[in-house]
Amino acid sequence: MSWTRRKFGGFASTSLVAALGARAARGQAKARVVVIGGGIGGATVAKYLATSSAKPYVALVEPKHQYTTCFFSNFYLAGLRSLESLTFDYETLARKYGIDVIHDTVTEIDPVAKMVTLASGAKIGYDRAVAAPGIAFRQGAIEGYDEVATQIMPHAWNGGPQTKLLRRQLESMEDGGVFVIVAPPDPFRCPPGPYERACLVAYYFKQFKPRAKILILDAKDTFFEQDLFEDGWNRHYPGMIEWLPGQFTGGVKSVDVKSRGIKTAGETFNANVANIIPAQIAGELAQRAGLADQSGWCPIDPMTFESKLQPGIHVIGDATSAGDMPKSAFVANSQAKACAFAIAAALTGSEQIALHLFNTCFTLLAPNDAVSDAINLKPVAGLIKITDIFFSPVGESEEMRRRAAHQAEGWYAAFTHDVFG
Amino acid sequence: MAASRSLALSIAGLVLLAANQGMAADNERGAQLAAMCASCHRLDGRDQGIPSIVGIDKKDFDDAMAAFKSGARSSSIMHAVALELSNAEIALLGEYLAARPKESKLR
Repeated sequence: MSWTRRKFGGFASTSLVAALGARAARGQAKARVVVIGGGIGGATVAKYLATSSAKPYVALVEPKHQYTTCFFSNFYLAGLRSLESLTFDYETLARKYGIDVIHDTVTEIDPVAKMVTLASGAKIGYDRAVAAPGIAFRQGAIEGYDEVATQIMPHAWNGGPQTKLLRRQLESMEDGGVFVIVAPPDPFRCPPGPYERACLVAYYFKQFKPRAKILILDAKDTFFEQDLFEDGWNRHYPGMIEWLPGQFTGGVKSVDVKSRGIKTAGETFNANVANIIPAQIAGELAQRAGLADQSGWCPIDPMTFESKLQPGIHVIGDATSAGDMPKSAFVANSQAKACAFAIAAALTGSEQIALHLFNTCFTLLAPNDAVSDAINLKPVAGLIKITDIFFSPVGESEEMRRRAAHQAEGWYAAFTHDVFG
Repeated sequence: MAASRSLALSIAGLVLLAANQGMAADNERGAQLAAMCASCHRLDGRDQGIPSIVGIDKKDFDDAMAAFKSGARSSSIMHAVALELSNAEIALLGEYLAARPKESKLR
């Protein structure tokens, strides 16, 4: 019985809005915001819109029932955390904040009629839409690395089944094997991620497979916090991790799934376990909805995060082309809040207050050795620019590093509570 | 008599309303600033590794932010945050956080 009522109610409300259009809906009752994508950016913007003074109706459209964070998944690869401890659902967002969580896929956004269409056929009218489509991999960037290949040489650059697959492969690798990480060109999700992965997998190897080696084949010639990582590799895992820059190999050109061979411009490297992290672009929805430009990323207004290509649709998170902002969960959360406050101001006709944009990041070199960085950013003449940046120095005391590792755990708990709790 | 009393009451009401609106705007701005803190500090009074800041004494908060700004207290993250916020924003945030009750500490 309750099934019938819910079903009927859901159908009635969506079809009514479809018939009347967004403008009529606005005159009638609450303003309507549709958030597309339930990752860090999408979940945060939905929560902060729902609690804003504008009190709009907020729909959050996300096909999956659970979200596993990619940040901190290196802890799981190291055997330091369960995948469950990194997994969240949308129940609190629905129950506590009244967000209409819809587990479906958006097939079309019509920016003129201000309407999104779902795979189920339902239509939702909106006053504002927010797209948080995350990343996709650039097709053909590495020859032979297709959907099937991801099941043999995982990217593990989205949290969930891919992370699990990589852990299983690392567990079954024999001692003395070679684990190859292919690191992508800029810009990509989580700049320290591939190198932290090397650290934490090395931590696992050191205990269980001490003769194993880790080889990083990079598209780049330098990487984020390189001095901190190289210092950590030398201190904790001497001789275990080798990093080859793009200029040395000429870059990864193709992969062969049968031999787990990775062909660069020169040599071919054979891996026992391979983690291929390809070049990235904004998620598939961004490409389909005309939110991305030729760069593959989504240009946005730095104050409101409204798309420069599709008025009325805001874009947040990794998919954006946001000046100096790195692609990180913290940034997605920071952008989501700025975007929610800008939308709330627009819906209530109040003044938008100058926003603050931040990024902070904790990176583990070993379980008791963490470094952090902090970045302040500001919109300047239409672009988001770094105003301050601070890094942990090389040679910090053990006590400072231990404290940062403890704070990293506390940060994860507080941050995921901010997003999903 | 009744009319003038109700007029007086409604004027008083308007004055209160105006004051409330000013407070509401400050409260809204305080909430927006506190939203930034919530990326690392839980706002329900629970803490694990990163200290709780709700219900914090306003003077303690101002002193801590000044120490982070000058570098007297060492933390790259809080140094960046303190540099980013204006003195007026720190004052507003301090008031907002001080007025916010600590919820249950039960886990």
